[in-house]
Amino acid sequence: MPPTTGSSVELLRGTLDLLILRTLLAGPTHGHAIAKHIQRTSEDLLKVETGSLYPALHRLETKSWISAAWEISDKGKRARVYRLTPRGRKQLVAEQSKWETFSHAMRLIVNPAGQEGQ
Amino acid sequence: MSAFWGKLRALFDRRRKEDDLRDEIQFHLDQESEDLELDGIAAGEARQAARRGLGNAAQVQEDARAVWTWTGLDQLLQDGRYGVRALAANKTFSVLAILSLALGIGANTAIYSFMDWLLVRSLPVANPESLVVLNWRAPGLSGRDSVMKSMSGSTWRDGDAGRMSGIFPYPAFELMRANSSAVFSSVFGYYPARRVNFMANGHAEMAAGEFVTGGYFPGLAVVPVAGRLIGPADDRAGAPPVAVLSFAYSQKRFGDAAKAPGQSIAINDVPFTVAGVTPPGFFGVDPAAAPDFYIPLHSGFLLQQKFGGGDSKVLLDPNYYWLEMMARLAPGVSLAQAQTALGPLFHRWAESTASRDVERARLPELRIREGAAGLDTLRRQYSKPLYVLLAMVALILAISCVNIANLLLARAAARRREIAVRLSIGAGRSRVVRQLLTESVLLSSLGGALGVLFAIWGIRTLTVLLANGGEDFTMNPTLNWNVMGVAAALSILTGVLFGLAPAIAATRVDVVGALKETRAGQTGRRSRRFSSGQILVTAQIGMSLVLLLAAGLFVRTLSNLQSVELGFNQDSILLFRMNARQAGHRDPEIFAFYRGLLKQFRAIPGVDQATLSHQPMLGEGTSSGPVLPPGKEPKPGKNPHILLTGPDFFAAFQIPLRLGRAFDERDRAGSPAVAIVNETYAKTYLDGGNPIGQRIKLQQRQRLFHGRDIEVAGVVGNARYGGLKGEHLDIVYLPFDQDTYHPVDEATFALRTGGDPLRHAAAVREIVRLADPRVPVTGIKTQTAQIDQMLNQEILFARLCSAFALLALLIACVGLYGTMSYSVERRTGEIGIRMALGARQGDVVWMVLRHAVGMGVAGLALGLPAAFLSSRFVKSFLFGVEPADQVTILVCAGILLAAVVLAGYIPARRASRIDPMRAVRSE
Repeated sequence: MPPTTGSSVELLRGTLDLLILRTLLAGPTHGHAIAKHIQRTSEDLLKVETGSLYPALHRLETKSWISAAWEISDKGKRARVYRLTPRGRKQLVAEQSKWETFSHAMRLIVNPAGQEGQ
Repeated sequence: MSAFWGKLRALFDRRRKEDDLRDEIQFHLDQESEDLELDGIAAGEARQAARRGLGNAAQVQEDARAVWTWTGLDQLLQDGRYGVRALAANKTFSVLAILSLALGIGANTAIYSFMDWLLVRSLPVANPESLVVLNWRAPGLSGRDSVMKSMSGSTWRDGDAGRMSGIFPYPAFELMRANSSAVFSSVFGYYPARRVNFMANGHAEMAAGEFVTGGYFPGLAVVPVAGRLIGPADDRAGAPPVAVLSFAYSQKRFGDAAKAPGQSIAINDVPFTVAGVTPPGFFGVDPAAAPDFYIPLHSGFLLQQKFGGGDSKVLLDPNYYWLEMMARLAPGVSLAQAQTALGPLFHRWAESTASRDVERARLPELRIREGAAGLDTLRRQYSKPLYVLLAMVALILAISCVNIANLLLARAAARRREIAVRLSIGAGRSRVVRQLLTESVLLSSLGGALGVLFAIWGIRTLTVLLANGGEDFTMNPTLNWNVMGVAAALSILTGVLFGLAPAIAATRVDVVGALKETRAGQTGRRSRRFSSGQILVTAQIGMSLVLLLAAGLFVRTLSNLQSVELGFNQDSILLFRMNARQAGHRDPEIFAFYRGLLKQFRAIPGVDQATLSHQPMLGEGTSSGPVLPPGKEPKPGKNPHILLTGPDFFAAFQIPLRLGRAFDERDRAGSPAVAIVNETYAKTYLDGGNPIGQRIKLQQRQRLFHGRDIEVAGVVGNARYGGLKGEHLDIVYLPFDQDTYHPVDEATFALRTGGDPLRHAAAVREIVRLADPRVPVTGIKTQTAQIDQMLNQEILFARLCSAFALLALLIACVGLYGTMSYSVERRTGEIGIRMALGARQGDVVWMVLRHAVGMGVAGLALGLPAAFLSSRFVKSFLFGVEPADQVTILVCAGILLAAVVLAGYIPARRASRIDPMRAVRSE
């Protein structure tokens, strides 16, 4: 698949966890809102596949990085709300620094210093 | 770790999780369509769009599930549940399959538990793995040209020309004990004391004992449950005579092991004191024998019993082999090291006992062998028959596996649509194979579980069959973890074995084609399924032939043995034995004692004749000695056979007199020595002229014999002595009280009766009790029962193998019947058309039957070479029939073909009754 398709970007493998954790840092919320938040914050560049979102949420839950509980949403419906656990918070820090190192390295290669700031 | 627990929890929490996920996704869809509606999209369309956005909902659930649990285990449980449902849906098939598997696995487990008992079990002592048994191996026979001048104990064939044994001269034991401290922490010896008179609390009984050296109990590291055991201090000349009892025997004679120590007993009329009792599980070192008591080797008793009080030089004779030895390896020493250290030592010693070069060329060589399981007497006796039985039951199991595979194959054909649906909605092929395999393993596990119950029953039955009333049968295997493990492994293995091929075949479907097919028109791949079914049925028929032939050979062996010309009349003879010498009777009073008893037995109403011999005619081997005319040499390696007999012997056994006279009142102690020989002896040694009046003599090599001149008084017909097989022996019958052979001790009495011999047993016991209560009567049985006991293995093989063959035939016929019915069902339309076009009923029957017979013949072609090959392995079990006996093979093939025709005829007849109109219309 090509790296970009029109207005959205294919998610890099392994980054979904970071995005979820980062989104939950703002406060507990349900799966749909997480997807929407990522989409909106990335100015619609990133579109989270529902097919991968829910398995990822459950994976993070079994790793105890996030916890889940059924709550009544603002519209009065039962929604499964996820929140960051202390372990998840630690994990987020680790993932984030990993990502920064990675993107810094990518930038160094893809945009060498000479061409920076053009 | 927490992920592990989470997954474990998820296993039990599954339903809630599934519901949660479904609700969650539903919530997501609702949210999404709401959002889209807000964007101004129509409600229905918004819902559709939301669904599209989600993708494959089932896939999402599957992915999430993979996160929660171990996929493999999860699928296994799922498959298991599905399998249970599938089995429950087809009860007849399941019950039949489980039953046949249970029979197969049960039979295998039962036989295996005997093998386990025989081959795997260790002696119940501390550190059995450091025990070793000392044996020797020598090329050729013992006797004249070897250092082994005389022997007492068993030897067995090793390879073509070699012989092995565990018996040594006493000086060799001393040699080992003195020179092995570097490799052995202890060396000990033992010698069986068979059937002695054991008197306790005024009551005499026959008991089996063992002479042991002082190192025996310390070496085996046995701890007494009461009193103390025999130690080195007890095992020397002049020590106070003590005995140790087995736990069971102490209970039998004294009620309680704790009461036994200190009790006074008499063994063969010699006083002993009970010192202690061995623990309950202890049975000595030979699983074939369980001694009731143990006494020290040097008690003086041995000398007296074995050599009638002769001098100890005989005992110390370096050319007399009798004492068995075991040892315990010193810590850190291997068996090979011990062999290297002691082999040359024994060689040098044995060389020093040789006096001629021919003896030096065939010296026995020491062989140290593992002793953890004790002596291998039983292993030598039973391992081969058990292997044969195991092969037979394994074949039965294979046949039932093939049968189930065949049934599964037919069922898989019926499930083609189901499987095609599963494959078409995305199930991987391996996933479907695994699911089908789970079903078959489930089936075989249920069969295995039921089979264990069969095994418990089978073990009991087989124990009874193998023992067949034998007094000293010691094998009593039970189910243990080892055996259960084998049963479990066998169950899973058979499940995979019969499930794999049908599962693979079932998933090899053309999905589109299978889905399009209607029920009636599955013609496309019929030929292929049919042919794999055919192959399986053919294999079954082949395997059945192997079992049938084995059964045929064993049945013929048994009937050959049972129709062996005995030379005497076995009917209505009562046998029993007693040993008056052990109870204190001595020469010459013992003759009068036995004669007095005979007179009383003869007076019992219904008893026609009463006689005795020093050993039974059949079942206990033979006695022999160089009793020959002057100047004659015995046939190479074979002395003439001798039987000491009482009065009326030939009349009682109805052995016909050919020449001269039978023994009568003239022939007693003190009168001129006479003998009666059989025809073979007369022909072999008394050539030339009339045998009557010729003189023979027991040529004296051992001083025990008295070397009197004996006159041949008569010649009798040949009769079986020792065993049923082989040529007739040359036999010299001697009166028991003329002092021409061994002094008589134990005697086997024989009463010829009218009617059932056993009804005189009580009278016999009473007469002996009144004559001398110290003399126990043992081994009361009819001559016929005794011969049956000799033929025990042959009877067992003939019966078991016939049953196995019948079972195999039945299973194969069910398989054939199933295949043929299936094929007829499939060809209903075709047959209908044929009949509509003018085929007669007979044609249709033949058409179907031809198929069955074709498979039968193919099975025979397959089975014959296999049967030929395998029957060679049972050659040593056969008598009077060759492994490739043509008559047996023809009969077996005939039986098999008849069964095949029968199994094929029922579907064939059904095919011929098809109503053409209905058959064609239904197409």
